Amino acid sequence: MPQLQQVKNTHYPLGYWQKVTVLIWLIALLIIPFADIEIVNFDPLLELTLMAQGLMAPDFFATEYLFQAVIQTINFAIIGVCLGLVLGAPLALIYQHPIVSSCCAFFRAIHEIFWALLFLQIFGLSPMTGILAITIPFAATFARVFHDIINQSSDSPLESIDSRADIISRFTYGKIAQVLPQLMAYTRYRFECALRSSAVLGFIGMPTLGFYMETAFRQGNYNEGAALLIIFVTLIGTISYWCPPKLMMVYFIIACLTLVDIPAVDSSLLVRFISQDILPPALVNVGTFAEVQWASLTTWFTDLLVEQAIPGGIATITLALLALAATHVVTLNAHALASRQLWPTPLTWLGQLILLIGRSVPEYILAFIFLMLLGPSMLPAVIALAIHNGCVIAYLAVKQSNAIAPQQMQMSKFNQFNYHIMPNIYPNMMALLFYRFEIIVRETAVFGILGIMTLGFYIDSNFSEIRYSNALVLITCTALLNVAIDILSRRLLKFPKSSQTRC
Amino acid sequence: MKALTKLIALCALTLSLFVSNNANATTFTFTAIPDEDESQLRTRFEKVALYLEKELGVEVKYIPVKSYSAAVTAFRNNQVQLAWFGGLSGVQARKLVPGSKAIAQGYEDQFFKSYFIAHYSTGLAMSDSFPDISQKTFTFGSKGSTSGRLMPQYYIEQHLEKKPQQAFKRVGFSGDHSRTIAQVQAGAYQVGAVNYKVWESALAAGKIDTNKVKVIWETPAYPDYQWTIRSGVNAQFGEGFADKVQAVLLNMNNPELLKSFPRSSFVNADNKDFEPVLTVAKKIGLID
Repeated sequence: MPQLQQVKNTHYPLGYWQKVTVLIWLIALLIIPFADIEIVNFDPLLELTLMAQGLMAPDFFATEYLFQAVIQTINFAIIGVCLGLVLGAPLALIYQHPIVSSCCAFFRAIHEIFWALLFLQIFGLSPMTGILAITIPFAATFARVFHDIINQSSDSPLESIDSRADIISRFTYGKIAQVLPQLMAYTRYRFECALRSSAVLGFIGMPTLGFYMETAFRQGNYNEGAALLIIFVTLIGTISYWCPPKLMMVYFIIACLTLVDIPAVDSSLLVRFISQDILPPALVNVGTFAEVQWASLTTWFTDLLVEQAIPGGIATITLALLALAATHVVTLNAHALASRQLWPTPLTWLGQLILLIGRSVPEYILAFIFLMLLGPSMLPAVIALAIHNGCVIAYLAVKQSNAIAPQQMQMSKFNQFNYHIMPNIYPNMMALLFYRFEIIVRETAVFGILGIMTLGFYIDSNFSEIRYSNALVLITCTALLNVAIDILSRRLLKFPKSSQTRC
Repeated sequence: MKALTKLIALCALTLSLFVSNNANATTFTFTAIPDEDESQLRTRFEKVALYLEKELGVEVKYIPVKSYSAAVTAFRNNQVQLAWFGGLSGVQARKLVPGSKAIAQGYEDQFFKSYFIAHYSTGLAMSDSFPDISQKTFTFGSKGSTSGRLMPQYYIEQHLEKKPQQAFKRVGFSGDHSRTIAQVQAGAYQVGAVNYKVWESALAAGKIDTNKVKVIWETPAYPDYQWTIRSGVNAQFGEGFADKVQAVLLNMNNPELLKSFPRSSFVNADNKDFEPVLTVAKKIGLID
């Protein structure tokens, strides 16, 4: 009898991941009262009807030069990924050096759109702008992830290699050979990301699908917009059919041949950009060090910090933390939706289609639709980020959870899923979620362009007011914020070393 | 499977032959963003390019851009030598490239205006005096727009004596005039500022439910869109080239071409015509 009593009173402490989950939600609940998530819309019905009509009758012939846009979207992605590999893979070998890793973290933290806006000043509307905007952050990401993969690989093959072998052979056959499939799989996944980035660069003027997509949605041509979305989702959903890894090199060559012509780079533009454009107003036209008006320089910097960087930074963090919690919900639901452990296979195809749509439609477009629906607050951005990132994580998690062998026990599918599969997959899922947090923070930038007052909003304003020095300071603030969040979350969470997750 | 892979590669290669572009250093390049209907930009403006090419006797190319700031950048970097700018972007561009000249403006642009529009729930009605819109929610159009941002903001600051951020409960940038109309009509914002021409044509097209959204005030007239030519074109394309371009633009009377802008005709313009825009831009702090 006393024994039974003891069992009844047993206190189960929260597990590590349960604590983390509770923490995410606690933070989100604490922020909500201060966040701008009001629903302000009287009658969204009219616009919604128009959108629904557009989706019902997509017009595939409304877009001019559609074929070229598709080709250029692929070209930018392929060339960007290939150059990213060429730069990033060697960096992975020296990534343990703090300078390399912090530089990479910094470069990674700047959104492709901002890279493109910067390069636009130097290269103009040249393909160079788009390609470099993809290459740089992608190289930094490859460096980190490849480094992680190589680090986590086993050392045992090294022991079986003749000790007289040179270091390159030892490394190639002992380490790289072992992780090559993982490196390839990751590269393939990044190609999908590059296609999305390539489309997004169209929003600021690159000749990709995004160029027409943005115009169509902004001007309310939903028939055209729907057609472009369908083309884009199909393009991403069928990557494995039209771009098998073997053909990557062939595509790279075709991409180089069919790229829009690259106009000659005018080096004077680069000089002007560095020596004039990005200098604070107080420093332009200053000959010597003594002439610098320190007072006006300080005022400029303080004003920028107080009026733009700090409010923008607060909005960025608020949005990112709310989106993190919302992403958690979407991930759990979307994972359950497409898991083969829960549904018969034909039904999971439907789930997979939903995940494909959720992760392929650019967040900007998602936010745009919710903006019409819910009115202008942070809410549309939170939902857009949650849907997009939740679907990406769920897509990767489903791949892992489908591979788990079900327990041979008399258990309903539902119980099996909740008490066997979920506990198994949850740590990985959470690790993916935190990896994705870094991406959520940088993606908040895109919503700035849509009018949600994150740092991206102020950066976009400064670009449109031709105040590049301000924009550069704010971009640096964004990057530093991102790096700080990354370091902080790593310190706080102390991930188990063995977790091999990235996205 | 292998055959399929080969087939795909072959198709891709063949198709790639159809995609080609060529630009030339001696090409006269221009850009334009119309204030309404940005669909089929290239198809429409390549016709304008063809007209210019025929009249000017040099190769003319159109490049599409996404925003006014992108147009200004392209102009500054000599990627385009001629641009159809808004009032504000024109002033910005001529400031960045000294010696550049405004050479023609749309007939309508001599006395352009913006409408303030409001959702019916505000209870505001058309009036001649500036409406009482403080502490409402308000949306501008695109950040760099003269009719959707610059002039409305100027009149707001004049009448309410506050920056928009302080004067309103919430300030937004819809990014586009037709978005502004849609958002105010849906009640997402209570009040908005919009290019009068975009409003009139949306009204004519039956896209506006006047029970839901109506005009409550119109701004005084100001100069807006204009053609600006870059300094140095005479050196690049021959003496008197700028004047030739000006004449060709003023003579453009094909309704189909004019519809792309959309303007009824082009009339003479001068840098001085846009002084008011520059003054206003300086007053509200958009230009230093």
